[in-house]
Amino acid sequence: MLKTDLTILVVGIGNNCRGDDGLGWRFVETVEALGLAFVGCEYRYQLQVEDAELISAFDLVVFADASYETLDKGFEVRACTGNATFEFSTHAQSPEAILKLCNTIFKKSPKAYIVAIGGDSWELTTSLSIKAEKNLNAAVGFFTGQFLPVQHARVCVD
Amino acid sequence: MVSQDKKTILISPVTRIEGHAKITIQLDDAGEVSEALFHVNEFRGFEKFCEGRMYTEMPIITPRICGICPISHSIASVKACEMIQGIQPAYTGDLLRRLIHIGQNISSHALSFFHLSSPDFLLGFDSDPALRNIVGLAEKYPDIALRGIRLRKFGQEISERITGKKIHIAGIAPGGMAFPLTEENRKALLAWIPEALETVKMGISIIKKFQEENFGMVNSFASSPTLYLGTVGPEGQHELYDGKLRFMNADGIILQDQLEPKRYLEFIAERSVSWSYLKYPYYKPLGFDKGFYRVGPLARLNVSTRMKTPLAQKEFVNFKSMGGGKPVHGTFFYHYARLIETLSSVEEAEVILNDREITSANIQTHGRWNYNEGVGSSEAPRGTLFHHYVTDVTGKLTHVNLLIATGQNNPSMNRSITEVAKQYVRGDQIKEGMLNRVESAIRCYDPCLSCSTHAIGKMPLKLEIYNDRGELVKQHAEN
Repeated sequence: MLKTDLTILVVGIGNNCRGDDGLGWRFVETVEALGLAFVGCEYRYQLQVEDAELISAFDLVVFADASYETLDKGFEVRACTGNATFEFSTHAQSPEAILKLCNTIFKKSPKAYIVAIGGDSWELTTSLSIKAEKNLNAAVGFFTGQFLPVQHARVCVD
Repeated sequence: MVSQDKKTILISPVTRIEGHAKITIQLDDAGEVSEALFHVNEFRGFEKFCEGRMYTEMPIITPRICGICPISHSIASVKACEMIQGIQPAYTGDLLRRLIHIGQNISSHALSFFHLSSPDFLLGFDSDPALRNIVGLAEKYPDIALRGIRLRKFGQEISERITGKKIHIAGIAPGGMAFPLTEENRKALLAWIPEALETVKMGISIIKKFQEENFGMVNSFASSPTLYLGTVGPEGQHELYDGKLRFMNADGIILQDQLEPKRYLEFIAERSVSWSYLKYPYYKPLGFDKGFYRVGPLARLNVSTRMKTPLAQKEFVNFKSMGGGKPVHGTFFYHYARLIETLSSVEEAEVILNDREITSANIQTHGRWNYNEGVGSSEAPRGTLFHHYVTDVTGKLTHVNLLIATGQNNPSMNRSITEVAKQYVRGDQIKEGMLNRVESAIRCYDPCLSCSTHAIGKMPLKLEIYNDRGELVKQHAEN
């Protein structure tokens, strides 16, 4: 079926006052500045259960967050599927759990990805580390140059 | 915390609460529980790093203490600022602040009951911990999960429709509010009321059914008597936004009444403890050993003479009857009390939204520094909150004291988990359901220990059991 109006939501997760934990928000800020009509942007300290309703309104959801892990290119984009993962605190949900809730309660299953961006420093500051800035640039470059065009084209011919 | 000469069970972190904590349970040589301790392992330092800031910054800084109850901090903060300026807020601005405060109460209480606690009631205390959460609840009871999510959303929408944001809002200012409520937003919020009322009533029927079917457990669950503190209106009615302090003893006798919050230090003292960053507040006239008091929904309903709204009043009468003329001491009844407050909040929201002045543009008075000290108070979802500022003549803060609601429940939380641990935990057969009951004692209080940094892949859950030589003998759960 030909579909011309793909809707994408990009959710930045983290605390922009704790150094590289602000990577998720910085990613979304950069995407938001592009002014793409089909991309919605949201900022979250943590995902909460009501975000299941938020994402139910979109075809594709991208969760962007900092990562403690060392990642090959400084970032990683991986598919995210709904899963009833056990988080120790219900007020901080994983993307997988939100997707599962979205499917269970709202009967919707948006396609989803996680953009994990490597961080290095987590102290009280609003600045990113040099390493984090580099990783952020790489992640944004991939997202806007390769990921978005592929996703948009893919839905248009579905 | 590991003892070298006793067995220790460690629950870290405590699940389904706001913030991070751990519980250690000490077993004696016979394998019986000797003690349980609640450790808060976060340190934020707001009181210290705010020194040197201008007092007018505090309504913006202090809500960052928490993402669940930031509005209570905003309210207490602006009241302290208004005392420093010597002004009163504008009528509509004050009314809007009251409405936003109610909205926070609704969303916080909805989170506590439907997301954090109801999995225990509806799925069972001994059910699979991997599913004993909102996700598992949604799978088995999708309608209840959805209604709970939407009730929380209503509470947040009150803030959003007035200020443009759901949490860490701007706009609550000394003298009133910076933003008015439009007629369009007023009508949109009113449209929520019928659904919100039905959802709260559904929650009340869930908890009452559980209480009836588990009468023995509920009445014996951490039921030691304590003193109580809450704010009340001029006739002793339940009041969350702008009341005076009332202390009550375990027999229901009012010890202090209609106290101005600025007098709190005459009656509340704090003592540090070695195992937690959270201090032990106590009622000063009775001393540390006899002065433990509780705050929050159970306390507020115990100290109140009546509710302000009709449906909540009906449930309040039922609640009071459970105490037989004395305060209701059973910790489990925090849940019922919380839902009665939520019902009252929804009813009061409707009254405020129908106030003829609610969309007025007269929302703020203005003042400047006049006095070097101010104290503000509000009833956060978890209990009475105090902000106390002392400034120099330029308005820079020289001293800040924040007495947080959850902190005042700290002694009682420790006692409650000890009681529940002694009742349910057997050292030779440690089952997850037993430990969940200990955690659920904490959940009754709905503590808010504030949020902290996270990143992908960094939220471990560990439960470790050590023998009396400090050797790890068992890992009960790990994520």
